[in-house]
Amino acid sequence: MNHLPLRSLTGIANVRRPTQRALAKQRTREKILASAKSLFTEKGYEGATIRDIASAAGMSTGAVFASFTDKSDLFNEIIGADRESLFEAMRAEAVGANAEEALKAMFDAGYRFTLADLPLLQATMSVSWSPDLGAQVRGRLNRRPITELIAEVLTSSIERGELSRDTDVGLISQMLWDCYLANFRHAAFEGWGLSELRAQLGKQIQVILAGARAG
Amino acid sequence: MAVLGVREAQKLATRRRVLDAASDLFNEIGFEDATVRAIANRAGVSVGSVFTTFTSKADILNQVMQDRLEALYEEAGRFIPLMRGSTADRCRSLFAVLYAFETRRVKLFLAHIAVAYRWDMEPTARPFGANQVFRDLMAQWLKEGVERGDLRPDIDIPAVIDLLLGLYAWNYRLAPAENADAERLTQVMDQQIGMVFEGLRPQT
Repeated sequence: MNHLPLRSLTGIANVRRPTQRALAKQRTREKILASAKSLFTEKGYEGATIRDIASAAGMSTGAVFASFTDKSDLFNEIIGADRESLFEAMRAEAVGANAEEALKAMFDAGYRFTLADLPLLQATMSVSWSPDLGAQVRGRLNRRPITELIAEVLTSSIERGELSRDTDVGLISQMLWDCYLANFRHAAFEGWGLSELRAQLGKQIQVILAGARAG
Repeated sequence: MAVLGVREAQKLATRRRVLDAASDLFNEIGFEDATVRAIANRAGVSVGSVFTTFTSKADILNQVMQDRLEALYEEAGRFIPLMRGSTADRCRSLFAVLYAFETRRVKLFLAHIAVAYRWDMEPTARPFGANQVFRDLMAQWLKEGVERGDLRPDIDIPAVIDLLLGLYAWNYRLAPAENADAERLTQVMDQQIGMVFEGLRPQT
């Protein structure tokens, strides 16, 4: 293309190096996010106050409110970023000779990622089931729907001819994801680690895939 | 029966009032928003007296759900002896009864699931999914299915029960998201149970 519309030229002209002020603001934001994440992890959503978060970050509550509108805004930012990382970690491992192997590898990566910070998951689950705040949280988490990753694995398995063309990909993806999440209850309350979670989910994946092949 | 002293009787009455108020409030505004102060106000008691019989808000919810269980067992107890047919069909009937019961106070039940993931649960609390009565019942049906040769002999019964209970619980996300009623939830669960039990059939 030989010429650019005027609007984009103006856009280019406006690109400047961030000012000191903008950089300082960004650093403040990151500091707040880091201390909020550790407090939510330690005390849960309800237990962590803006005052605690501010003092852990070494600033005033006013400075926190200059960067975030309220506690739920902060929380949503943190779990949104966490979900992005989970999505990437799972996507990177979603490979295998067949659907079962790819799913196992992918969910294994998910369990490993989340077990490293289980209390944050507990806080997220707890909030996501609450009626009002839950809607915001669910909306944020659904920007990176892991069910779509699962659906991709199933679709390529259909293309390879392992599963039939009329497999209900949506239903099965949701079932696998629900089952993966529900198993965390054992990690939270019965001290299950990676190997127990992996073994249990492995059996459940086999059942669901056998059902998919038969259905 | 021992006669209760005035103090004990008062304490029990307070406890009852707190549980009723909490049950209503959890169902109306959810667990996070229902503060202990709001529960105390609604019950017409002081915050301090709430803490003389309960250790925390999660403890109150735990007791509310325990009390509800009795009503649920009574309701389920009428249906369970009538449940016939394959293991899959019995499970379908059981979950239909559970959805019909819980959707009457759906926010209360959502709070119950939410609290099942809290980090600060008391050791005495019974999180969602640990209900031994329904687990035992399903285990019995699954064993019978294996004995009849309808189901694969090598199934891991606790893992299958966890799978079914996980699907059952996670379907509740459709309640706030899509305003799903008991009928809709049952319909989704029926389909999922169909898929699971296809997968449990003996390999041919």
